[in-house]
Amino acid sequence: MRVAVLMPVWNDPDALARTLRGIRHRASEVGDVTVFVVDDGSSPPVLAARLPPPDASFRIVLARHALNLGQGAALETARKLALRDTPYDVYATMDADGQHRMEDLRALAEAIASGADVAFGNRFEGASNIPSVRRVVLFAARIFENVLTGMRLSDAHNGFRAFSYRAVARVQIRQNRMAHATEIRQQVSREARGGKGAARRTDSLRVVEVPVSVRYTAATLAHGQTSLGAIAILRDLFHRYLFGGSE
Amino acid sequence: MTPASVILLGLVAGLLFFDFATMRKGGRRIFLVECVAFVAGGALIAFPDVATRLAHAVGIGRGVDFVLYPLVIWLVRESLVSRRRRFEEAERLTEIVRAMAIEQAVRIEGRASGGQVHGLGQSDAHGTNRAPSH
Repeated sequence: MRVAVLMPVWNDPDALARTLRGIRHRASEVGDVTVFVVDDGSSPPVLAARLPPPDASFRIVLARHALNLGQGAALETARKLALRDTPYDVYATMDADGQHRMEDLRALAEAIASGADVAFGNRFEGASNIPSVRRVVLFAARIFENVLTGMRLSDAHNGFRAFSYRAVARVQIRQNRMAHATEIRQQVSREARGGKGAARRTDSLRVVEVPVSVRYTAATLAHGQTSLGAIAILRDLFHRYLFGGSE
Repeated sequence: MTPASVILLGLVAGLLFFDFATMRKGGRRIFLVECVAFVAGGALIAFPDVATRLAHAVGIGRGVDFVLYPLVIWLVRESLVSRRRRFEEAERLTEIVRAMAIEQAVRIEGRASGGQVHGLGQSDAHGTNRAPSH
């Protein structure tokens, strides 16, 4: 199975190198993994020399934003880069801070190989150590997204997900910052229901949820989203609604 | 003239002086527009009866409301227009930064410690820059 991993990174080169070493170590279990790393304007920049070397089942493509634009923008750059390559069987989005596990990547990839177009990771079914404050925020976010998108999922804003080629080609991320997770879900929901603006009504996407175990540590919590980030997400969604025009 | 009028007029004069002192080259026309607006505002502060008479003439109770109503409407509109411009500029900036990143993306080959990186291939007939297949 050929897997493209889309991985944004900002200002944490040590965690990135550790994460990539972990993927490289177990890439052969998945098949053939190419990681599209997009350095979102880190200072100092991510250096190719500090990344693990490729082997028979592991490769890295490195791109760099000249300015920090946000995780959504970096993911979209990685998506566009991956789509320029020969098609992969699976396109997965993964965080660079090591909180996502290789066995879960394999499970997500297998879900796509089994016929799903989008596999959303579900932290509440796996053995994730989600902090209690984060649980409350995610519960509210889940209800908000279920109402907004009309697609009922058990988790919200989980960055660990996988797509088939035809799904990743249809999802275009326009939210530069953290609202991209809601935007992805909105687009997937539209394409799954064949709703307004969907590519083809007869060719709707099949969506599944896969249990994943996300490892929260002091470092990942310090570097990642804060619970107050929910306000910024609402603001960005509102700005896109106001100024973004029709999609 | 009330103490409040004196303070407000002093503030207007102080702001005008500051903007004149820090005026950039080519900023004369903007400063002239600012002068006209500030002098008109200063006149309404110094002679509040003028604003009250104008307000009564158009059916508004207080002179200050005569000034505030259009000002609030204008500020809300200005805020929305400037936010939309910022949004559009951010979109353009994103596209430029992304195009540069994709153009300069490299595939890491062999021992990375040797700095062996390769660009993602030449532009094809359609002008797109395709990565070589494995």
